[in-house]
Amino acid sequence: MLDTSEAGGPAVRRRWFALLLRDRFATAAAVVLILVALCAVLGPVYAGDLATRQNLRAPGRPPFGLDHGWAFVLGSDSLGRPVAARLLAAAGTTLAVAVPAVLCSLVIGSVWGMWAGYHGGWRESVSLRVADVILSFPSLLLAVVVLYVFSPSAASLVLVLAVARIPVYLRTARAEAAELRSRLFMDAARTFGTGGWAAIRRHVAPSVLPTLLTVAALDFCFVMLAESSLSFLGIGIQPPDVSWGLMVAQGRQELQSAWWIALFPGLAIVVTTVSATVLASWARLTTDPGQRWREGLGRRSRGLRSDRGSRGDRGSRGDRRSRGDRGRSAAGDAATEEEREEERSVPGSAAGSGARPPGEGTEADVLVVDDLSVDVHTPTGPVHVVRRVSFAVRSGETLALLGESGCGKSMTAHAVAGLLDPVAEVVGGQVRLDGVDLLGLGARARRRLAGPGLAMVFQDALSALNPVHTVGAQLAEPFRIHEGLSRRAARARAVELMERVGIPEARSRAEAYPHQFSGGMRQRLLIATAVALQPKVLIADEPTTALDVTVQAQIMDLLGELRAEQRTALVLITHDLGLAAEHADRVAVMYAGTVVETGPVAEVFGRPHHPYTRGLLASVPAEQHRGARLTSIPGSPPEPGSVPAGCAFRTRCPMARERCATHRPALTGTGAGRAAACHFGKELADA
Amino acid sequence: MLTLLRRRAVSSVIPLLFVVLGVFFLARLTGDPANLYLPLSATPEMRAEFAARNGLDDPLITQFGDYLAQVAHLDFGESLRTAQPAGEAVLRAFPATLQLAGWTMLLALAGAVVIGSLAAYRPNSVTDRIATFLSSTAASVPDFWIAIMGVLVFAVTLGWLPTSGTSGAAAWVLPVATLLIRPFGVLVQVVRGAMVSALSAPYVKVARGKGASEVRVVFGHALRNAAAPALTVAGDLAVGLVNGAVVVETIFGWPGIGKLMIDSVLQRDFAVLQAAVLVTALAIFALNILVDLCHALLDPRVRQRAAA
Repeated sequence: MLDTSEAGGPAVRRRWFALLLRDRFATAAAVVLILVALCAVLGPVYAGDLATRQNLRAPGRPPFGLDHGWAFVLGSDSLGRPVAARLLAAAGTTLAVAVPAVLCSLVIGSVWGMWAGYHGGWRESVSLRVADVILSFPSLLLAVVVLYVFSPSAASLVLVLAVARIPVYLRTARAEAAELRSRLFMDAARTFGTGGWAAIRRHVAPSVLPTLLTVAALDFCFVMLAESSLSFLGIGIQPPDVSWGLMVAQGRQELQSAWWIALFPGLAIVVTTVSATVLASWARLTTDPGQRWREGLGRRSRGLRSDRGSRGDRGSRGDRRSRGDRGRSAAGDAATEEEREEERSVPGSAAGSGARPPGEGTEADVLVVDDLSVDVHTPTGPVHVVRRVSFAVRSGETLALLGESGCGKSMTAHAVAGLLDPVAEVVGGQVRLDGVDLLGLGARARRRLAGPGLAMVFQDALSALNPVHTVGAQLAEPFRIHEGLSRRAARARAVELMERVGIPEARSRAEAYPHQFSGGMRQRLLIATAVALQPKVLIADEPTTALDVTVQAQIMDLLGELRAEQRTALVLITHDLGLAAEHADRVAVMYAGTVVETGPVAEVFGRPHHPYTRGLLASVPAEQHRGARLTSIPGSPPEPGSVPAGCAFRTRCPMARERCATHRPALTGTGAGRAAACHFGKELADA
Repeated sequence: MLTLLRRRAVSSVIPLLFVVLGVFFLARLTGDPANLYLPLSATPEMRAEFAARNGLDDPLITQFGDYLAQVAHLDFGESLRTAQPAGEAVLRAFPATLQLAGWTMLLALAGAVVIGSLAAYRPNSVTDRIATFLSSTAASVPDFWIAIMGVLVFAVTLGWLPTSGTSGAAAWVLPVATLLIRPFGVLVQVVRGAMVSALSAPYVKVARGKGASEVRVVFGHALRNAAAPALTVAGDLAVGLVNGAVVVETIFGWPGIGKLMIDSVLQRDFAVLQAAVLVTALAIFALNILVDLCHALLDPRVRQRAAA
C-alpha cells in the first residue's frame, strides 16, 4: 500500500502543472492571483491618475452604470473619484506591501530557522525563545506601536509585518531542519567535511523549501489582512495613496449613502486571500503525496458502501462506478484476461469448498472465507491486493495464514473483520460466519457480531489501545456495548478479564493508562479486549512481532489456552514459519495476494506441494538441515500492482515452464486435506 | 500540577519582561505627549513643567526603574488624558473584552468541533468539501470588512441590530460574529485534520472491532485524541483575539481593552498603554496556563510528564 503511494509521488510532482489544471478550484485560484498581479502592475499606470482626481460634478454615482466610462462602472465616492479606478490603483499598493513583507520574512526566517535547526544547542534554544517573544504578543498591537515610532508608510509597514512574521518561518524551518539533522545522511555529510552552510544549502534547503513555500502562501493572506486592518485603522497606508483597507475605512464614513464604496474593496481582499488559501492547500496536498493519497480516495470506497445496500447517496455511487470502470480499463485488461484464463484452465475450482479439498466435511467450519478479493484504490487505479482467497476454520482449531510482508495476509484479515481502511474495498467473495455472509449484513447487524462473533488482535498494541482512556474502561467497553452492563459491573468484569490474561494487581492496574504498561502486558490487554465476549473466531494479526522472544512465547501460550477454553477458532497471521509450525493445526501459505498452498501444518512443512513453500522452508535454518546450505528464494515478491500474468510466482520459480506464463494455476487438491496452486502440485506430491 | 505551573511561569517570565520593556521604550519613542496636551503656544518653561509633573524629564532608564517600582506596588500611574489612575481605566475596560472574547472562543470551539468532526468523518465527501471551502474562506476574510457589511445589512438596511453599545443581547450579535469568523474558520480546519488522523488510528479500528457505534467511535474514542492540537491552536487564536478586539471594539464602540489601547497610543497616554499591555500580557499568561491544564486533563501522558 505504501509502496504504491511512493511510486505515485515523483510522478505527481513531475506533473504538477497538469495536476493544477485538473483541479478546477486551484486553477481558478491561480487565474485570480495572476489577474490580481496584472492589476497591481498595470493598475497604477492606467488608473493612478483617475483614482485621485476629484470630480465634484459626479459625486456618489451608483455602480453598474456604463454611461460614464469604465472607471465609473463600480460607482464613485462623495468626491467623485471612480471606485473601479481606485480599486486598480490600490491593488498595486496592497501588493507592494504584501509581497516584499512576505519575501523578507520568508528569506530571513527560513535561513535563520535552518541555521538554528541544523546546529541545535544554544543557537536553537535562543532562536526559539526570540520567536516565542515575538509571537507571544498580539502582532497588531506591536505594529500599532512601531508604526507610531516610524510614522506610517508603505516601507515601515513592510518592516513591521516582516518582523512579525519571521518567527513563523523560523519555527517551521527549524523543525524540519532539526528532523533532518537526526537522520543519517546528515551525519555522513558531516563526516565528509561538508559542514555548515554548504550542508544546509545542499541537504536541508531542498527538503524544507516546499513546506516553507506553502507557509508563505498562507502568510500572504495574513500579511494582506494585517496591512488592510492597519490601513483601516488609519495607521497603515496614508492618503493620497490608496489601498483596499483604506478604501473600506473611507466607505465606512459613507456607509448610509454609498454602500458600494466599502463593498468592492472588501470583495477584492476576500477574492485574493481566498485564492491564495486555495492554492496553498492545493500545494500542500501535491507536495505531500501521502496526504493526497489518504484524502483523495475516501470518495470511492464510500460509493461501495452504498453498493452494499446501506444508505448512501446515488450521486457518489454513479461517480464511483464510472471512476472504477475507467480505472479498471486503465489498469489493464490483463487482469480480467488473467481471471478468465484461470476460469478456463480450472473448470472444477476448489474455491467453493473453502480451500479445503473436496470430500472433507465443512459443517464444523465456523468461519468460511470464500473467493475473497480486495482492491486498494490508488491514484493510478485499483490494485488487486487480495485475489480470490479462500480458507475455512473450525471451532478450537488454529489456522496460520503465512506469508511475507505485503502478500495480502493482513489485508485479508482486515477484510474478514470488516475493518478495512477507506482506501481498500472488498470487490468479491463471501465471508461466512456460521453460514451467515458478513459482507451482506447491514452496519448494525455487523456491529452486533463484532466481539461475540468475530474479534481481532492487532499487531502494535501501543497504538491499538486508546492512549487517553484507562485500560479498565477500554476492557469494560465490550460488556457495556453488548451486554448493556452498568459501568460498575462492566468494570468488575474487566478486572476479572485482566486477571485471566495474567495482569498482576489487576484491580489497581485497571485505573492505569496504556503507556504505563510494558509491551507484553499491552498485548495481553489487547487480547483480553478481543476475547472478552468469547468470540467464535479470533483473528490475531502478527500478535507477537513487536515483542521479544520470551514474551512471544508467553503470549502464544495465552492465546492457545484461551482458544482451548473458549473453543475459539483462531486465525493466526504471521510471517514466522516457526510460530506457525509450533502453534497452528493447519496452514494457508499466501503469495502475492493468493493462497498458494494449504493443509495440515506438519504435512505442509514436511513435504510442501508448492515450490514457494519449498523455497520458504529451505531459507529457514532447522535442525534436520544441519550442515546443508541455506538457500534463499531468488528475486523478491512482486509489487501488488505489477503481479506477473499467469502464475504469480513463476518469475522466481525454479520449476517454471511455458504454461506458467499463460495459465494461472488454481488451488486444487493434491492429497488428503491438502491443496496447492501449482501446475505441478501433483508431481511434487507424488515425487 | 505545581511543577507544570512553575515551569510555565519560568518560561513565560522572559517574554513577559521583554514585552513590558519593549512597550515602555517604544511608546516613549512615539513622540512627546507635551505636543498633544499643551497648546501650540506653550513656552519651554510650560513644557518643562509638564514633563516634570509627569516624570518625563528623567533619563529613560530612571523612568523605567520608577515605573517598575510603582508596578510592584500595584500603582500604574495616572492617565495623561483623564488624570485618573491608569489601573482603574484598564480594569474597567478589561471585563468587557474578556466577556466578548470568552463567548467568541466558546462558540467558535463548539461549532468547530461539530463541523470539523462531520467533515472529517468522510474525507472528501460533499460535506467535507463544502466545510473545507467555507472554513478556509472564513479564515481569510478581513474582519473589519465583515463588521461593516454586517452593520450595513443588519443595522442600516434591516434595522434589526444596533450599530454600537453593549446593552441587550442584540448588541452582542455583530461584535461576537465578527470576532468569531476567523478563529472559527481556522479551528474547523484544525479539528478536521486532527480528526482525520485520529479516525484512522488503530485504536479506532479496535473500537469498531468491539462493535462500538459510530457515535461512540467518533466522540468517545477519536475526539479526545484530536482535542490536543485543536486546543493548542485555540490558545494561539485566543491570543490573536486581541488583534480582532482592537478592530471590532473600534468599529462597534465597545468599551474594551482593545479600544483603550489604540486610543492611548493615539493620545500618547503612556501610563494607560503600559497598564493595558501589562494586563493583557498577564491575561495571556493565565490563558497559557489554562491551556496547559486542559492538556493535562485530556491526556494522561501529559499529566505523567508534568509530574515527573
